[in-house]
Order: sequence, then structure tokens, then C-alpha cells
Amino acid sequence: MENETNPVYKDERYGQSRELFYFYEEGGKFEKKVGYHPDGSRIILQQAWDLFNERIEEAKQKALAGKVSPVVYYMEKTLVSPLDLSMHTGISLWRVKRHFKPRVFKRLNDKTLAKYAEVFKVSIDQLKNIE
Amino acid sequence: MTKLDFEHRQSGHCESGVTSNLLNYHGFKISEPLVFGIGTGLFFSYLPFLKMQHAPVTSFRVWPGMVFDRATKAIGAKTRIHTFSDPKESMDLLDRTLEKGIPVGLQVGTFHLPFFPPEYRMHYNMHNMVVYGKENGSYLISDTVIEKPVTITYEDLMRVRFAKGAFAPKGRMYYPFEVPSEIDLKPAVIAGIRKTAYYMTGVPFPLIGVKGIRYLSRRMRNWQKKYGEAKASYYLGQVLRMEEEVGTAGAGFRFIYGAFLHEAADVINQPWLRDISFEMGENANKWREFSYVGSRNCKKRAKPEESYDMLADMLLDCAGREEKIFRKLSKIR
Repeated sequence: MENETNPVYKDERYGQSRELFYFYEEGGKFEKKVGYHPDGSRIILQQAWDLFNERIEEAKQKALAGKVSPVVYYMEKTLVSPLDLSMHTGISLWRVKRHFKPRVFKRLNDKTLAKYAEVFKVSIDQLKNIE
Repeated sequence: MTKLDFEHRQSGHCESGVTSNLLNYHGFKISEPLVFGIGTGLFFSYLPFLKMQHAPVTSFRVWPGMVFDRATKAIGAKTRIHTFSDPKESMDLLDRTLEKGIPVGLQVGTFHLPFFPPEYRMHYNMHNMVVYGKENGSYLISDTVIEKPVTITYEDLMRVRFAKGAFAPKGRMYYPFEVPSEIDLKPAVIAGIRKTAYYMTGVPFPLIGVKGIRYLSRRMRNWQKKYGEAKASYYLGQVLRMEEEVGTAGAGFRFIYGAFLHEAADVINQPWLRDISFEMGENANKWREFSYVGSRNCKKRAKPEESYDMLADMLLDCAGREEKIFRKLSKIR
């Protein structure tokens, strides 16, 4: 079942590493082999990344149109949920959710913005103006 | 500048691999499946009220840290476990421990782990790896997922040790420092099997063990109607990712557990366990088939009869097999 060649991904950085897998063959033999992961794993992993990318793109469009704040875009880009984001920044969940509104986001002070910028690994300027 | 003579062995599951490698360093030869079994690694739970990466949590393993705790305790090794609030302090203690000549296991988050395969780089804070030395300011790492030993810089290591979010590692480090050379593994193996059998069949809570698999199967039948095509497909994908993704050694640890039972039959000299290990192997193959059909379903390449109903039936079949296996195992003496 293991693959001898690497599975092909849309993103070519993926699927380059070989892992250890256990197998059972009829007749009672447990074996371990090192190989690339099987095609099934490739599909489900790609599915997850597809959803992430879709959400990032959607959030980006909304943020550019001014419907949501850039926090939403960067949140999707770092693959976190609002609850995770609240844990990462140390800002309470309901405040994080409020910061999703552009109107509230505009009034944020630099201290709060810095917290977000640190988690998203961008500068405050980039946080305010997304490309 | 320390470099310990640590043997890097790739393994299927990160935590039991790390534990086995650490014990191996101290001269206690023990295989990965044996650690996994003694540490009661096998589990099942489905928690629809907890969301991870936009889908309900399905878990095929016990809480992180448990395998190391249980396995080392069962063989009578002396261990230390530390967590920290101050990152600086945690790195200092790590350095001091390495200088004493003890390799250290670390719990880390995977999102910022530079050498980790990019397709797995999501927020997952329960990964384990071993630090076995320091050279030119960067640390030597044995990560059981990666084929070869790797290195990581001071800043990167500090960041992954203090990754935030759910199950934050808080710099957790652990190591055995005194390991008995020879020990009768029999009581440890028996206790491990009994505990796992209890988890899988005995817990009076519907979301855990065999009951959890049945519950998931019931829910799965309604996914399409309840959530629509796209979301149902993603939920199914999430179950499969938990089952097959990095660090399960395939089929949600069922293969590795089968290998454990196979080995245990010799260790405690009870040949009937070998027959059960074959049943476990077949069960694991069924899980593998489930994930195979499921992934085709995710790609919308499934034949019409391979619907969610069929997948749910496959799960029921697995649940039935596992119930039989663990009812027998619970009678072990």
C-alpha cells in the first residue's frame, strides 16, 4: 500500500518526506516500511489545504472590500480559529470578535495592534494595509 | 558543545517512538509497539462539540504525555517532567540537562517547526521530539517523523516549545534518568492491555471507545442531509486525517497495536494473544479500507453505492470487531 514514488501535489513542496508505516499482511505478519504516504492521505491532506486557501482568499476579498477587518484575513492566513487567536494574543475572545469589524479595528491603539502583528508575524503597517 | 551518542530511529507514532528511543539510550531495549501498548496508547473518542481546523475532533489516541508517563512508570524508570512559564529558564534547564549527558524529550507545536514537512504544518501542539546535543548554538534534534536527525536554532526551538493555543506545550520537557537494566515486563504488559480494554469497552460514556465509533457511525449517516455536500465531505476528511495523518503509523494506531499484541504474546508467553493480534491486523486493514473508500468519497470519485451510509456500515463493522477483540483481551490474567 505504501508508495515508492512521491505522490504529486498541487503544491510541489508537499509530499517530499518519507515516513514509517506499519502493515499487516494476511497470514499474520506485521511489518514496518519506510515510504511516501499513500494516495488516500494525499487527497485528504490536499482537501484540508484547499479549504484553508479558499477561506484565506475569501477573507482577503472581504477585507479588501472593507466588509471585515484585516485581522480576519491574517487570522485565516495563520490557520487559526477566533478562539485560538484569542489564546495566541491574550486578548479575550469577545474582544477579538469585535476587532473583526472594520469600524472597531480602525480605532485600535498601537499596543493592541502590536499583539496581533506579533502573532501574525507582520509589521503594524502590513497589518493595517493588506496587499 | 555537547553531542550525545543517541541513536535516531524513525517511528510510526511520535510519542512512543521518542519514549522508546530515550529508554534505548539508557540501555533498556524496548520496541516502539511495546511502549505504545504498555503506555495504553490506543483509544477512540469522537467529540462533536470540540472543533479543530473547522471540524469535530476525532481522536484515536490517548492524551499527550500519557504514553510516556505510563510506560516509564510501568517499567520502573525514574523520570522528570518539567513545564515552565519562563522561556529563558526552560532553555537553561535544557542546556544543563544535556550537559549532564541526558537526552531530553520535548513537547512542541508544529506550526513553526522549520524542518517539518510543509503539508503537515498546521497548528498541532502535541508533537514530540528528542534533543540530544548542542553544536555551534543550534540544537541537534531526533524527530521520529523525519528520516534523518536535524538541527534547529535557539530562537526557533524556543518558539515551538512555547507555541500557544489549545494544548499549549508550555515548554514541557521530560526525560528518564535512571532506568533498570533488566525487568520482567509481564505485569506491565497485562496492566496495559487491561486498561486499554477498559477504555475501549468499559467506559460508561457514549463518545468513548467502541461506543464512540458507533456514535460516529450514526452521526455520519446524517452528515450529508444536515450539513450539505461540501461540509460533510470536509468532516469525513477530518476523521480520515486524524486516522491516517502523520504519527499514527496507519489506520489510527490499529496496526501498531496489532504489532504490540504480536510481540506481547512472546514477552508474556501467552500464545493466544497472537491469534488476537491477527484479528487486530484484519481490523486495521478494515480501517485502512474505510479510509481508502472515504478518501475517494472526498474526491467525489466514489461510486454511487460508496455513500456515507456505506462508510457508516464499515465503521459499525470495525466497532463490532474491536468490541470482540477487547472483550477477549479484558479477560487477560
